[in-house]
Amino acid sequence: MEKGKTGAVVVVGGGIGGIQASLDLADSGFYVYLVEKDSSIGGKMSQLDKTFPTNDCSMCIMSPKLVECGKNLNIEILTLSEIKAVTGEEGNFQVLLKQKPRYIDLNKCIACGTCTEKCPRKVPDDYNAGLTMRKSAYIRYPQAVPLKYLIDPERCLYFESGKCRVCERFCPADAVDFTQKEKEITLQAGAIVLATGFKPYDPGANDTYNYKKFPNVVTSLEFERILSATGPYQGSLLRPSDRKKPRKIAWVQCVGSRNVHFGDRGYCSGVCCTYAVKQSMVAKEHSDIELDTAVFYIDIRTYGKDFEKFYNRSRDEMHVRYIKSRVSTILPGDQEGDLKIRYVDENGRVVHEDFNMVVLSVGLDIPEESVELAKNLGVDLNHYNFVETGYFNPVETSRPGVFVCGVFQGPKDIPETVTQASAAAAGAASILSEAKFTLTKEKEYPQEIDVVGQEPRIGVFICHCGTNIAGVVNVPDVTTYASELPNVVIAEENLFTCSQDTQVRIKERIKEHHLNRVVVASCSTRTHESLFQDTVREAGLNPYLFSMANIRDQDSWVHQHDKEGATEKAKDLVRMAVARAATLRPLSRQRLPVIKRVLILGGGVAGMTAALNISRQGYEVVLVEAEKELGGMARKIHRTLSGDDVQAYIDDLIEKVTHDDKIQVLKEALLADFSGSKGNFKTMLNVGPAMYHREVTHGALIVATGAKEYVPTEYLYGQNESVKTQVELEDILLKEREVAKRWQNIVMIQCVGSRNAENPNCSRVCCQQAIKNALALKELNPENNIYILYRDIRTYGFAEDYYRKARELGVHFMRFKEHEEPKVEQVDGRIQVSFRDLTLMRDVTILPEQLILSAGMVAGETQELAGILKAPLTKDRFFLEAHVKLRPVDTQSDGIFICGTAHSPKRIDETISQAMAASSRACGLLAKNYIEVGGIVARVDPELCAACLICVRACPYEVPFINADGVSEIDISKCHGCGICAAECPAKAITLYHFEDAQILAQVDGLMEAV
Amino acid sequence: MIVAERKPLEEIIGFIKDYKKILLVGCNECVTVCYAGGKKEVAILASALKMAFLKEEKELEVKEVTLERQCDQEYLEEIRSIVDQYEAIVSMACGVGVQFMAEKYQTMPVYPALNTLFMGGAEEMGVWAERCQGCGQCVLGQTAGICPITRCAKRLLNGPCGGSTKGHCEINKDVPCAWQLIIDRLKALGKLDDYDNLMPIKDWSAERSGGPRKIVREDLRQ
Repeated sequence: MEKGKTGAVVVVGGGIGGIQASLDLADSGFYVYLVEKDSSIGGKMSQLDKTFPTNDCSMCIMSPKLVECGKNLNIEILTLSEIKAVTGEEGNFQVLLKQKPRYIDLNKCIACGTCTEKCPRKVPDDYNAGLTMRKSAYIRYPQAVPLKYLIDPERCLYFESGKCRVCERFCPADAVDFTQKEKEITLQAGAIVLATGFKPYDPGANDTYNYKKFPNVVTSLEFERILSATGPYQGSLLRPSDRKKPRKIAWVQCVGSRNVHFGDRGYCSGVCCTYAVKQSMVAKEHSDIELDTAVFYIDIRTYGKDFEKFYNRSRDEMHVRYIKSRVSTILPGDQEGDLKIRYVDENGRVVHEDFNMVVLSVGLDIPEESVELAKNLGVDLNHYNFVETGYFNPVETSRPGVFVCGVFQGPKDIPETVTQASAAAAGAASILSEAKFTLTKEKEYPQEIDVVGQEPRIGVFICHCGTNIAGVVNVPDVTTYASELPNVVIAEENLFTCSQDTQVRIKERIKEHHLNRVVVASCSTRTHESLFQDTVREAGLNPYLFSMANIRDQDSWVHQHDKEGATEKAKDLVRMAVARAATLRPLSRQRLPVIKRVLILGGGVAGMTAALNISRQGYEVVLVEAEKELGGMARKIHRTLSGDDVQAYIDDLIEKVTHDDKIQVLKEALLADFSGSKGNFKTMLNVGPAMYHREVTHGALIVATGAKEYVPTEYLYGQNESVKTQVELEDILLKEREVAKRWQNIVMIQCVGSRNAENPNCSRVCCQQAIKNALALKELNPENNIYILYRDIRTYGFAEDYYRKARELGVHFMRFKEHEEPKVEQVDGRIQVSFRDLTLMRDVTILPEQLILSAGMVAGETQELAGILKAPLTKDRFFLEAHVKLRPVDTQSDGIFICGTAHSPKRIDETISQAMAASSRACGLLAKNYIEVGGIVARVDPELCAACLICVRACPYEVPFINADGVSEIDISKCHGCGICAAECPAKAITLYHFEDAQILAQVDGLMEAV
Repeated sequence: MIVAERKPLEEIIGFIKDYKKILLVGCNECVTVCYAGGKKEVAILASALKMAFLKEEKELEVKEVTLERQCDQEYLEEIRSIVDQYEAIVSMACGVGVQFMAEKYQTMPVYPALNTLFMGGAEEMGVWAERCQGCGQCVLGQTAGICPITRCAKRLLNGPCGGSTKGHCEINKDVPCAWQLIIDRLKALGKLDDYDNLMPIKDWSAERSGGPRKIVREDLRQ
């Protein structure tokens, strides 16, 4: 510790990016101050209804992360706070915050909601995009973390007139405190991560679309709230003006994006196409009447992983109409409240069409406060006010020690934000490596209470889930019922059983009533079981003395129209859970040491970047490359769209990697065998050229094996010398400039080997590649004719600037449709390209000297590797992440991470972000000295085992084996506890702990009692 | 292993319809491995029988036991202390086990719950196939390790018949022709010359045709 760096990091912004960066940093050994200007964390994602491309509920997938953040001992959430000044330098910053008063004491508030109920003042609710009213005393949303109310001083009767204080009078916890003042706080931190996110573009500023005038013209964020069950209309799809159900809704794309006119933004916001696809589908699903949805677009930019399939599904199966036409204005329709859109259809005719509602797909904008913050920090911004980062250092700002992630760095969606958040965490962790674990606290659980031999004493906690459950199920009735069940000592109801204050309450009840089993009746074990298990553990109970009844997803949500039936079902489910709880027994867990070494497969940009970052974080790396040299696919790329020198960068990477004493490089090495579990893997490698065996033990594995360029079979590729791929063209542009200079006519065809039946996905990079090469050709010879034949130009983010520049320089962009691809023939040795131009409505023939194919990216030979690693692949043979939104670099197999083009097609800067993210996740695992195994695992009774091999064959993780004694054995460190072996065992020799026959039968008997 | 499958429930009910208390005995050997008569199948059959009786408004008490092997006297001995409490025994062992059970407990009615099918093995999870007919004179040494007695419908010993078409048997297109398999494997082993060696007429008296068989090992006998 030469300078004594500070082992703490300030993360600015508590949206999904800030949350992920905080969690990663805390895992990696740093104390985190999470600074949020709002009253709770969650950011924009908390306002979304569903997320693309899986249509998962946004809040449902996010709330476990909110809670994790709230519970983490090493994350200190500072709400209502903004950074005013930063002094010091990388390693030792002093960060000055101003924290606004909440007027409610965080430590006293029990989140009962009385203040809200009694507050007489109603104000527009910004969480619901102003579509509804809330009180002045409020919480932002029901799942807010911290779940503590606050008073809005701007719009409070007491602050306005000096009278009222009703909330103070009624608060049962004496938490209201009008004497609170603004505070200044100074934090010591080694690094800063900016994750301040975006604000939706305000279409009212220059009101082109009469957004302010017509209530039924709404922004996409407002529409999210309309769709949401916690939104203004409780999830019913109604339009604002008259609360009628719309029959026709239009989406207008690129509102505030891709436009250089006054007040608009020149970049592409990147997410609006895919969210419009999502909204148009979800709207149809929500609507109980026939609903027509139409999306007016310039280009559909569904370039993310599996997004194209999502778009295809909306068009082909859900019959969403996509109309390529830029809408210029929205006028009143013929009927009251309706809106008229005038557009030009496919055949060039002007059409007037009325809609009941119009959604403006507004772009991502940088808020003024963020610009101010950057100024205070001395961080450079680009011409659009996003943080300026180098192409090869996508998370580093101009000020050393200050990192950035999420939309503040450039427009991006949730998984890219989460990825970059992990990357920013990796960046911060790498400069503070020596200060790891200097400021962190460790969680200590109390000594476990021995419950063996005790009669069951069960506490039952029944959740209202706001109105999610209580709106359908009669919760008080169920609570009374539960209190009379056998072994139940106490039963109570909670507004939100998952809230932090309820956790405190559960712990108190366990102590007061000497509970030895706990039952929660609420939502899904999938999202919330671990939270409650941790709570009972904090009260000294073994975490397996807990049982859950799902009375929301499996009851109130599916029986909305039968309240009585749902209440009876809730009783049945609670009775079953109580019966099960009585039979539960404590399970022990063992600690296994973690090997502090990472094995990385693939020595391209992704693998090398990850290796360097892991080394800087203080861990060893074995970097395995199948080829003779490091460098991978990027070796074929010379420059980026923005003009950065790729080869110089790779040379530098190779230099650093090969001279790093923590990194061992194995070339021409192939994976032969892989075994073990997270923290303790063992890999056998055959290392060339002599093919000697090498065994590596490691705690984590990163797959960075890349992808490959599609080799075209179409358009005479390989048959005529003038037909080339973009990669081949790039080589000529570098090495044979004089040749390229003489070309007069060049045709480029997009989507070759992408977005078709064989490979339905978009390869993401080819549009930018084509424009990059077209610009280079124009630079060589401004007089040439370049024709780019495309389906949609997908220059997302700032790449849009280059698309605009190419058009300005006279590059011709001509559109064709799927299934109406251009025809390429060879006439007297010359290439002839014919197609129908959709603007001219004419057949066009061009005789180019060069035909350049924008060949897509396809997955490498991943199947065998995936089989050995037992890591699942997508249909297109890219590695599949554990969760497409929130775990973008984790795989389903714990301890195995993915990055780069092995995950999906992407650019080099995106690959670097993802590689650093994988590094962050791996280092988070390696930072632990041990991992706990056991708990819910399968165990074989050797006396009963017939060695029939059925478990060996049935296990999806290949864990059971027949041991030296001739019976099956299961290694608990590898067992995932799925229970398939236990279900299949014909000798009933296998027991799955926590799901033992007696426990399941108790549940079934519990159910049958009512029959 | 001996491969068996459970009889239809109706047939088993037919055996025991007049009883109120039965002893249902599984076997932890072959029939466990082939998913026909292990502890789990015993539990499933017991539940199915009880449910069937309840539907008829009758009660059936079923004692579930699974023995290590039913083809050994010593293991069968393990249930002696409880046998008297039941009216009948239903055995989920192969035919050998059922008979040993009946021999052991002379006064008890013993019924089979399985149909014993063949000696075979698991080709894959859930698929069992016959591989041996116990002919008493193994010819696998001459036939590249593929048994023509088991796998040829006609048990031919010297090459295929005229019904072999494109490698399949005329009885069913899903059945491979054993002799095609033998010839292919001989070829692969470079031993096709062995195919020219005619096999003599087989002594079928070593097979079941010679009556029930028995092995007596004087060296082991006590």
